[in-house]
Amino acid sequence: MSKKQENPTTHALIDFLHSQTPTTLQRLYTRPSACLAIIRLLSPLERQLVMSLLWLEGPVETQSITNWITLEGRSAYEHALKSLAKLQILPNSKEQILLQASFKSGLRNGLTGSGQVASFGALVEPDNDMGTLPTEMLDNYAVERWDTILHFMVTSGTEQASARPSEGVLYLLEHSGLMSNEHGRRIITSAGFQFLLQSPHAQLWEFILSYLRMMAEREDMDMVDILGFFFMLSMTQPGQHYSTHTLSPTQLIMVSDLRDFGLVYFPSDTTTSFQPTRFATTLTSYTSSFSDHDLTIENGADLSQEFVVLETNYHVYAYTNNPLQIAVLNLFVSFKARFPNMIMGSLTRDSVKKALVNGITADQILSYLVTHAHPQMRKNNPIIPVTVQDQIRLWELERHRVKGQDGYLYKEFASMNDYEVVVQYARELGVVLWENASRRMFFADAAGRVHIRSYIERRTAL
Amino acid sequence: MENASHLSVILDLSPSQWYQSSQTSGDKHPLSLAHFLPQLFVFLNAHLASQHENTLTVFGAFPGKSSMLYSSNETYIQADADSNTFQPFKTMNSVIAQRLNEELESLPEDAEAPIALVGALTKSLCTINRRSHPSDTLNATSPNPSKLPTPRLLVISVSPDLSASYIPIMNSIFCAQKLKLSIDVCKIFGPDNVFLQQAAHLTGGSYISIDRRDSILQYLMTTFLSPPAVRRLMAVPTEDRIDLRAACFCHKQIVDIGFICSICLSIFCKPTPVCSTCRVKFPIKTLQRLKEAVNPVLPPNIPAPKLPAEAPPATPRVMPPFSMPHPGFMPAGLFTPKKMSKIPKPAPRVPPGMK
Repeated sequence: MSKKQENPTTHALIDFLHSQTPTTLQRLYTRPSACLAIIRLLSPLERQLVMSLLWLEGPVETQSITNWITLEGRSAYEHALKSLAKLQILPNSKEQILLQASFKSGLRNGLTGSGQVASFGALVEPDNDMGTLPTEMLDNYAVERWDTILHFMVTSGTEQASARPSEGVLYLLEHSGLMSNEHGRRIITSAGFQFLLQSPHAQLWEFILSYLRMMAEREDMDMVDILGFFFMLSMTQPGQHYSTHTLSPTQLIMVSDLRDFGLVYFPSDTTTSFQPTRFATTLTSYTSSFSDHDLTIENGADLSQEFVVLETNYHVYAYTNNPLQIAVLNLFVSFKARFPNMIMGSLTRDSVKKALVNGITADQILSYLVTHAHPQMRKNNPIIPVTVQDQIRLWELERHRVKGQDGYLYKEFASMNDYEVVVQYARELGVVLWENASRRMFFADAAGRVHIRSYIERRTAL
Repeated sequence: MENASHLSVILDLSPSQWYQSSQTSGDKHPLSLAHFLPQLFVFLNAHLASQHENTLTVFGAFPGKSSMLYSSNETYIQADADSNTFQPFKTMNSVIAQRLNEELESLPEDAEAPIALVGALTKSLCTINRRSHPSDTLNATSPNPSKLPTPRLLVISVSPDLSASYIPIMNSIFCAQKLKLSIDVCKIFGPDNVFLQQAAHLTGGSYISIDRRDSILQYLMTTFLSPPAVRRLMAVPTEDRIDLRAACFCHKQIVDIGFICSICLSIFCKPTPVCSTCRVKFPIKTLQRLKEAVNPVLPPNIPAPKLPAEAPPATPRVMPPFSMPHPGFMPAGLFTPKKMSKIPKPAPRVPPGMK
């Protein structure tokens, strides 16, 4: 999410792909499923550029493409060319422009359905009636898995006990810095709190990216295999059975890892097929995995994502009985009353400050409230009352009234002259933060300590 | 966050036109339906590949009837597993091919009825309208309207204009304007289509008459794949010469100069005493003057207008000069020329007071 905010057009995974070596990318592009998935992650203009060049055999003068770009699109076009060059899709676009050969053939095969790479996964008939889930059950399974992880995070460090996710997930949570391990007890970090307030889709991607980074550190894993498997998953159909026979050993490990995240389902380790859930198949979609579908969790409650009513008097009414949603709201709302279908509380200075101390920013609180605002709230413009918005931001500013800086105080200079000379030297270094000539004291940044010390020693030695 | 887009394709499937298109005589690049369809499928696949939420409907305009060939809203039997193909592509392509075959088989053998382009056009406008107002339907959980896909319409045409369909096509254009969707036209075979040119022009779409039909796929991918948001950044070719002629309501002929009822704006090729649409009676005086105007007695100081060579063979009607002294009331039969550029303007006469 943080990367998305910096540059709204770039998908987080594209940044990850930028960091890969050209050979890795070129090997990846031999898989049509990877090409199709990457196309979806590109920005609209990049995608159109690729599509326009796809069926041209020879190189084209860059000028003839540039002529089509409108004045408004210039900067976006420059950015698109750079990004595509980094992805090795359009290398060297200075004078002539030509799609990279393996990407071109990969995407062509993907669109026409030809080629022999078999990168879309092998569909199989289910082995037996046992252990196959209909699509709705798969959705429930995926949501339940994901909620378990989030709920574990949100209740960590409190007295409440919740179901523990598997060891692999716990390791990943620590590795990605979302949780820290203190004396065997896992505590959620400030990055973890920020993670909780993101949309489910963004959370999923952040999780997958940390998974990819973790896998990248392992020497025995081939990145092409790993990325290829993710792209294949994103192109599968939910509820279908895919064979595990065609998978490489790396991918077999991934299947069992991804089961813990709720991306795939298989009943036991001995089965030879797996079913991707909607989490996996909507990976390359831009919007949330939930929004399009009416997912219901097992107790029949609607897993609607729009349930929060916030009034100008700071009162919060949340129409939910989902423990996870309540726990997340509890991060910055002080609750007063709980009813079967709703929970009531208010935003107070203390409750918001508690969240700010945990590393959550005011913007994150506001964006969470906006994304989860009740349909009734959406009639307002702006959705969140201005008074509340301003107050939350003011509470955040309160925390920034005092700024700390490490440094050293230099005092008890023998003479005014000594003081003048030393402070002049420190000024030249640019490390003086505060000075008071009448009391012969000054405070300098920690970085300057060694220099100032040696300067004073050299002077006294004279 | 970009919006998904909905593409509605209208496929002109006139057997005789496609047959002519596949003939080599007089054309360097013959294109038969059998060669065109695979290229269309690649284009449709590319549309679905662009974004996960992209949706598609395909309508076929057959002689005398129109029918829906494919819609992403409906569920079809999944195509057989093939690990080399993205399954939704395969399903979509096989459904369209199968429906197309069924419809073409069931066409009557005898004389070909006029192509039902208007039927297909209105049907797809209706489906788009339903998509853009999901809250009105039974489904109560309406998603955020800003998340709805932006619609677009593409007409792939091989048949010439049907002048009888002028009014319904104009109405479809108004409807499209109201729905804020653009109509793109890809003219594969035959002479330029006046009404579809106007449709593209008035809705901000692009009309392209394909010169090199062997590279039809490249045309489709460069011009018709990009959603409106991308077109602001990367321009698509448009026609700069647009034939804006209209068809008269009385004989359904395309006219250069028409006579328009000042009450209901109906177009006639000749001055008529009574408007056939709204039954208003025009004053005799105006009628007489208009009839004179049709066969004008030109004042000596105006040179006889020369008509451009490409003017249709029908007897051209010349408009009287604009500066003709106005009668006391607005003449009911005042006309507007539909294609100004084709008529040489009379020498401007400065009113006496201005000198």
